[in-house]
Amino acid sequence: MDKNDKAKRQEVIETEVTMGTVHPAALEPYRVRLFVEDEIVRDAEITVGLNHRGIERIMEGLPVEKANSLTEKICGICSNSHIWNSVMVAEKGLEIEIPERASYIRIIMGELERLHSHLLYLAHGNEVLGHETFAMRLFFIRETVMELLRMIGGNRVQYGCSIIGGVRPRCELDLMRIQKLNEGMDIIEEKIGQFADRFVSDPIVMSRITGVGVLTKKDALRLAATGPTLRSTGVDMDLRRDMEIYDPFDFDIITQQDGDVKANLLMRVLEIPESIKIIRQAVKNIPSGPITDRSWEMQDTGIIKSYIEVPRGKLLHSYALEEGRVRGSIVRTPSITNIAAMQHACIGNHISDAQLAIVQCDPCFTCTDRAIKITKIEI
Amino acid sequence: MSIKSYSRARAVHAMLVYTGGCNGCDIEIVNTVLSPKFDIEQYKIFLTWNPREADVLIVTGPVTKHNEKPLKEIYDAIPEPKAVIAAGACALMGGVYKNIHGDIPSEEIAGPVEEVIPVDAKVPGCAVRPQDVLAGAVAALPKLLGAK
Ligand code: SF4
Repeated sequence: MDKNDKAKRQEVIETEVTMGTVHPAALEPYRVRLFVEDEIVRDAEITVGLNHRGIERIMEGLPVEKANSLTEKICGICSNSHIWNSVMVAEKGLEIEIPERASYIRIIMGELERLHSHLLYLAHGNEVLGHETFAMRLFFIRETVMELLRMIGGNRVQYGCSIIGGVRPRCELDLMRIQKLNEGMDIIEEKIGQFADRFVSDPIVMSRITGVGVLTKKDALRLAATGPTLRSTGVDMDLRRDMEIYDPFDFDIITQQDGDVKANLLMRVLEIPESIKIIRQAVKNIPSGPITDRSWEMQDTGIIKSYIEVPRGKLLHSYALEEGRVRGSIVRTPSITNIAAMQHACIGNHISDAQLAIVQCDPCFTCTDRAIKITKIEI
Repeated sequence: MSIKSYSRARAVHAMLVYTGGCNGCDIEIVNTVLSPKFDIEQYKIFLTWNPREADVLIVTGPVTKHNEKPLKEIYDAIPEPKAVIAAGACALMGGVYKNIHGDIPSEEIAGPVEEVIPVDAKVPGCAVRPQDVLAGAVAALPKLLGAK
């Protein structure tokens, strides 16, 4: 019983379905408790914290270059976004202007990562939906992106592309790489177009995903959802518009109205061509010149914050520098609020749709499990 | 070859357990090894999520304190004969999470995997390359097939 003497929904509902801790719906260890009445989910509770590695603690006191490459290991999907933002914190604090060519390469990497994250989401969504053919096709398209990422970054997952003052020399875009990028973009654009046609014209898939896992605009704003999850409910918010580095590029910000699984999947399908558009512009207009500026000097700074838009929402990195070492690091990833939204999206659905509602918000538990909250328990 | 080992060689089920790495290795294993390009199913290795069905356990990540007990339980639930593949730098030696500070141990990490459950094949890399996972899985097969 809580303070108002009103029983919580969890306490009156007897049937409970628990998924976890290792469950195929999300690969990662987490636990969902669904409270079910007449096969309808009435309440949901999600527990995270199983893969807490204390990255911020490990970062404390490390030299800033080491700490930057550690942030990359927060998440294997948006690894580039983490190192990019972490480097940007140091650059802001030390007032370093990076060469223009370096910022173009960073954008190309960022958008390639958005492509691979969205394709992974679509493939995973289709797999949970039960449409394996679509899933396999999307994995196959994703391989093209992974090849491009490997070509530029030298590895399929951890690229270590950004360093303070620019990008690593091995990530230089020469003519052969630019040509391969162009070819890759053509292939992806053609294949994703074919996929989109089949996807929206498949009546069975459409009827399965329409109206499932609805998140209303009000709830999304109340729970502070970010990224595509928020945009799928009709809120036009994308940090890329405010980021200086994206100024030279022309792209649209996609929004959908319904906030259900269909809106979320379509969101990603429509965002992929926008990313391709950005990459094409970047490849075409890339200025020549150096890619790394090494003329900076280390100094002490106060706490600096930096926000960027990553494939899944808004990412914050913040730390202070003291004699070249990192102090008081804070990372806040988009999934932490999207998971609250996902908990809400489960409610009111049939139990068989709960898995879809969970996947819909694109949760990433690896990057979420960092903060710990210590609460006093009174006995 | 007895009919049992004949059929066993044609239906090896692998289960993936994630124990706190960065997700890079898992995605490489599930989505690449089982997707059309690398396709481990052509070697008759299938993915399952049920430990009682599994023959091969693929473990990624440095085994965080919270994951130690679930990992042991999953290992115990798999029927004999079984093989364990540790994939990725994290699973082999704790990765950056355990070692970046030098000799100071991290309090969050119980791993590497070897200290929790016995390991038969090791696949290095951060993140593992799909080709290496294929090689590791094939290297672990004799243990399964040799047992009566
Ligand atoms: S080995 Fe590297 S890619 Fe794999 S889980 Fe560990 S940090 Fe991530």
